[in-house]
Amino acid sequence: MKARQVLGPAVRYILVILVCVWTLAPVVWMISISFKPPTEWYSPNIVPERPILDNYITLFNSTIPIGGTYFMTSITEVITLPLFNSLIIASLSTVFALFIGFLAAYGVSRYRAGGTFALFFTLLTRMLPGATFVAPLMVYYSTLGFIDTYPGLVLLYTAVTLTYAIWILKGFIDEIPPEWEEAAILEGAAPWTVVSRVTLPLVRGGMLASALFIFILNWTEFLFALVISVTQVRTLPVQISLYASAVGRMYGPQAALGLVATIPMVILGYAIQRYLVTGFTFGRVR
Amino acid sequence: MLPLQILLNFILIIPFAIMIFLSFTNWTPVTGVDWWRAPVVGVPNFVGAFTDQRFLWALLRTLIFVAVVVPVEFLIGLGMALLFMGRFYGKKVATSIVLYPMMVPWIVVGLAFFLMFQDYGPVNMILLKSIFGEPKLISWFRDPALAFGCIMIADIWQWTPLMFLIIYSGLLAVPQRLVEAARVLGASSRQILWRISLPLIKSLIVVALIIRGLEAFKVFDTVFIMTGAGGPGTSTETISAYVYKVAIQYNDLSYAAAVSLILLIILAIVTRLAIRPLEVKPE
Repeated sequence: MKARQVLGPAVRYILVILVCVWTLAPVVWMISISFKPPTEWYSPNIVPERPILDNYITLFNSTIPIGGTYFMTSITEVITLPLFNSLIIASLSTVFALFIGFLAAYGVSRYRAGGTFALFFTLLTRMLPGATFVAPLMVYYSTLGFIDTYPGLVLLYTAVTLTYAIWILKGFIDEIPPEWEEAAILEGAAPWTVVSRVTLPLVRGGMLASALFIFILNWTEFLFALVISVTQVRTLPVQISLYASAVGRMYGPQAALGLVATIPMVILGYAIQRYLVTGFTFGRVR
Repeated sequence: MLPLQILLNFILIIPFAIMIFLSFTNWTPVTGVDWWRAPVVGVPNFVGAFTDQRFLWALLRTLIFVAVVVPVEFLIGLGMALLFMGRFYGKKVATSIVLYPMMVPWIVVGLAFFLMFQDYGPVNMILLKSIFGEPKLISWFRDPALAFGCIMIADIWQWTPLMFLIIYSGLLAVPQRLVEAARVLGASSRQILWRISLPLIKSLIVVALIIRGLEAFKVFDTVFIMTGAGGPGTSTETISAYVYKVAIQYNDLSYAAAVSLILLIILAIVTRLAIRPLEVKPE
């Protein structure tokens, strides 16, 4: 009995530590290598002997050599434009998806507009692989002249993330008693005023959660960005793939770029974590 | 619903119509004819797809990927959830740590594991060294099986936390009074788990497995970055990578449309069957 009381917790701690190490290892290695000069890229040290910031600096100014050498720096393309593109495209698409998504969710929740089919159609679009969409989209977008343009990517992202906006917001709108809105109507408020003054403030939390969630999806989307953005509207994930394939063994800047793309996401992710945890049980179990 | 309908028509329905039309033609951008004037040739694209070894292999390979990755993620996720159900010091921090992989962009996960499995990377130089006593110079991405394994490991790393989160939040939501009632009646913790908690969250687990299975079928980002969308040769080419290559690299848009259509039909049927458990809403 005694041995079990000591061993049980000990085993638990060992397992927890193992899980944490496994989870942290890849990103710790990326952080480590992002601070290493080229001479240490092949060494197994986790803590760099001579930590430098050059891998990050070279992302924004490719004329500065990494670690004092001129080792392959000319291939490095600066990420200023992709970073800007990613911010603009992800933000705009999020705003549009929320606006349309809110209207649609309101219609579905209050008036059962479109029936269940519309809801399941949007769900269906999320479950199918994006790759099956690539060929027709390519043809369609080149006919419209949408390849490599902001409207092209923004419209596409809006359409594919709408599902989430509708589903998340519908849940929040469902929870508002319709009587509250009816009370406002009785007081003489116009329908639009009711929505903007009563419903909208009440779903603020849901708006924030879905906004951050959709922003994360847009920020990390890769396949469509790869197909549609060639040079002008190249986004950060596409830039990462170019670094990894074309630049070959530029481990330092690759890792630095990966972290630049990741850190805002992890921060946003923790900001919405509590919404996600409740969302994932889908109202089941109880 | 109007703005929604316009957008869906504009972005989703029209390309879908284009896909159907293209799949019956043999149009490529290099023919110099506008695509809507392309002559309809019938079904050779579809016949070709079912005799296309590369397509069939990509399909099979992706199914193997799903069949390996999803159960492993489920089992580790379940184990982690049980581990975290108990009390221990630092649980909050540990929970935060194990959840973050979900928030890492897919492409960066690919990049991180690409760096891990380099010839002089930490897997060879630290992990294998500590196991075998000397570093092994394994070229992970040169060997078809190993390269595919690396992609699986990256996927498992990223998505086990989701499984953990779903099972864990499900277990936490199991009504405490049921657990206590069972305990009063003399049930052991193990019995409570197998007889009460797990059966209660069964439908939740089914949903989690379905969603993850459909998502895993799409795997593209990690393949693209870790093995250059399918290398060595075509040995790690998943179905997404294959369709992407046919459409974008080989410019064979008609054939890509036909393959896409076949996939869409298969997946629409599978999805329709799969989301049935989702529809039963406790309202």
